[in-house]
Amino acid sequence: MLKNEILQVAIYSGEIMLKSGAETYRVEDIIERMCRSKGLDDVNSFVTPTGMFVSDNKTHEATAIIKRVKNRKIDLDKISQVNNFARSFISGDMPYEDAIERLNRIDNTPKFHPVVTLLLTGLASAFFTLLFGGMFPDFIAAFFISMISIGVFWSIDRLSDTQFLSTTASSVVISICSILSYKMGLGTSFDMIIVGAVMPLVPGVALTNGIRDLISGDILSGIARVFEAVMIAVSIAVGVGSVLGFWTGIMGGSLI
Amino acid sequence: MILKQFLFSFISTVGFSVFFNAPRSSLLYAGFTGGCGWVVYYILKSMGYAAPFASLAGAIVVGLLGELFARVDKKPVTAFVVPGIVPLVPGYGMYLAMVGLINNDYDSAIQIGTETILTGGAIAMGIIIVSSLAKIFKSRKTIILHSMKKQ
Repeated sequence: MLKNEILQVAIYSGEIMLKSGAETYRVEDIIERMCRSKGLDDVNSFVTPTGMFVSDNKTHEATAIIKRVKNRKIDLDKISQVNNFARSFISGDMPYEDAIERLNRIDNTPKFHPVVTLLLTGLASAFFTLLFGGMFPDFIAAFFISMISIGVFWSIDRLSDTQFLSTTASSVVISICSILSYKMGLGTSFDMIIVGAVMPLVPGVALTNGIRDLISGDILSGIARVFEAVMIAVSIAVGVGSVLGFWTGIMGGSLI
Repeated sequence: MILKQFLFSFISTVGFSVFFNAPRSSLLYAGFTGGCGWVVYYILKSMGYAAPFASLAGAIVVGLLGELFARVDKKPVTAFVVPGIVPLVPGYGMYLAMVGLINNDYDSAIQIGTETILTGGAIAMGIIIVSSLAKIFKSRKTIILHSMKKQ
């Protein structure tokens, strides 16, 4: 395999992992190990959440590849498949076309059926409502509201790249629906419904990964991830807060 | 009571594993991880410990089970840890802090907000403690194996 081809395979694997929300150190580690196993000893990789740089630093014939990564969505199946691929790439002798074809197949693996994802996410949010201390009517309300909000999130996410818009819109939908269902008597406390239904949007994983990166020394990507989490949290607060503020200030409702 | 809590968080975690598109074989393992983490958090919380400490203990349990299942199921640790920490994420604290801000009640907003941030940090710390210890043990094991081979 040519040097350029090895770098191409390595950076494609890294790109799939980064797009699926893998930790920074894991992506860097896999790229470097894949290159070293094929005889490129002096490879450096620098990975940030929005792009990565890989270069082979042999003098006279140094090569560098830059890859920009625009959107990230957590996809644990792809991370684990690329992990397995890297293991067999390192230990075996895989031709270039084979490797690229396998990576293409991994990149296009189907997710769970959207209806299944929707139903199970709704169920998860509904059980969160119970965990936080909600009653059975809240459970039903959170189930449907969270399914509606995920539908809204997906359809806006398809139209625009900015996550701020889709998160804010779906948290507005969540709070309006929660207040409506509370008013119609379909729930006992709307704060429980909101908290349960908002759970799929909450950036807990982004925050944890960011702090992990910070502590393990990847300062740049750590700060980027923490701020991504802060931005998502702010957009949820804007969505929920504006509806609640409107409700208390103009409609004369009360909180808690 | 604890069984009910375990069941609820188990189902929630499985639901979130599907939302994060986890590998099919790891769904139940991930659910078990999340359920155990939440139960530890719940027990410590009801014994009167502060939320950050309880979350730290819960996250350590999540990390340990993740390392265990990663070896059983041959999948990266992330596949179990990412869904597993979701029940511990302080969503209700974030909500209450925001309600405080809306009501111009900055005292409670800052108090609850600080606790929420500390809880988030504690979860990350728990995961990091386990993963770095696992890495040390792994490298120690390979060093010992290598030296045995040389002899």
